[in-house]
Amino acid sequence: MVRNVQSPLTPAVLHILLALATEERHGYGIMKQVESDSQRKVRMGPGTLYGSLGRMLEAGLIQESEKRVDPELDDERRIYYGISALGRTTLAAELQRYSDVLAVARRSSRARSTFAHVS
Amino acid sequence: MSAEISLQRSRAWYARLLRLYPRQFRERFGEGMEQTFADSCWRRRTEGEGLLGFVVWVFAETIVAIIGEHVTRLRRHAMRDDAVRFLKTVKYSAIAVSVLMVAGILTVMFLARGKTGDDGDIAGVVAPALLLTSVSGVVAVVAAVRQKRAQRRVVHP
Repeated sequence: MVRNVQSPLTPAVLHILLALATEERHGYGIMKQVESDSQRKVRMGPGTLYGSLGRMLEAGLIQESEKRVDPELDDERRIYYGISALGRTTLAAELQRYSDVLAVARRSSRARSTFAHVS
Repeated sequence: MSAEISLQRSRAWYARLLRLYPRQFRERFGEGMEQTFADSCWRRRTEGEGLLGFVVWVFAETIVAIIGEHVTRLRRHAMRDDAVRFLKTVKYSAIAVSVLMVAGILTVMFLARGKTGDDGDIAGVVAPALLLTSVSGVVAVVAAVRQKRAQRRVVHP
């Protein structure tokens, strides 16, 4: 299995990892969660979603889950995806990176004036 | 009823579009993508949102993704082809060195035939040549094995 995780993560990969951080989801579930997390600002189509899922599986960030829900409640053929240990570590590192960048920006006086203009 | 029919038609056309994906990708994710598309259309319909704009957007997005998958696949193949070519060069170079060394050893043995004393002592020449032959042989075998593995990955990625 390939272990090739590039940082910074693409927005799609970051959103998918965030969506899977709380629970295992199938493709449509991930799509809905990404929309909900971003307050419908991020729209992810099936092409982007499954392309990213393929690369994330290859990189070991996520894994196919054994979970199959009750066929009466849902389609039992749906494949659920879950975040792996590597995925969690990568997500934590990426969020830390964002946090550090934000801290630097906040410390900068130029950034402060930008924030003042924005707010 | 007509909304139901247009939903089914959109799904059927989307399934046809998915056939343009590389086979391996389609077999792994095609069904899930189709299901996700159908679910998204269904939700938009139940929420009373327009379907046409969404369908056009998803088709365009998927076409871009299909092109991306083919480009990625071609790049990977090109990299593997380069690796196979490199390993072939290493293998044949190592074989050539081995053959030359064996020929050299045989020539030295032939020339030293019948000579005695220091003139007949060819160990100092033959020993390094034999070592180089052995190393070249090992390199050739390793390169051949790795080349076969790389070729298998090209045929069955």
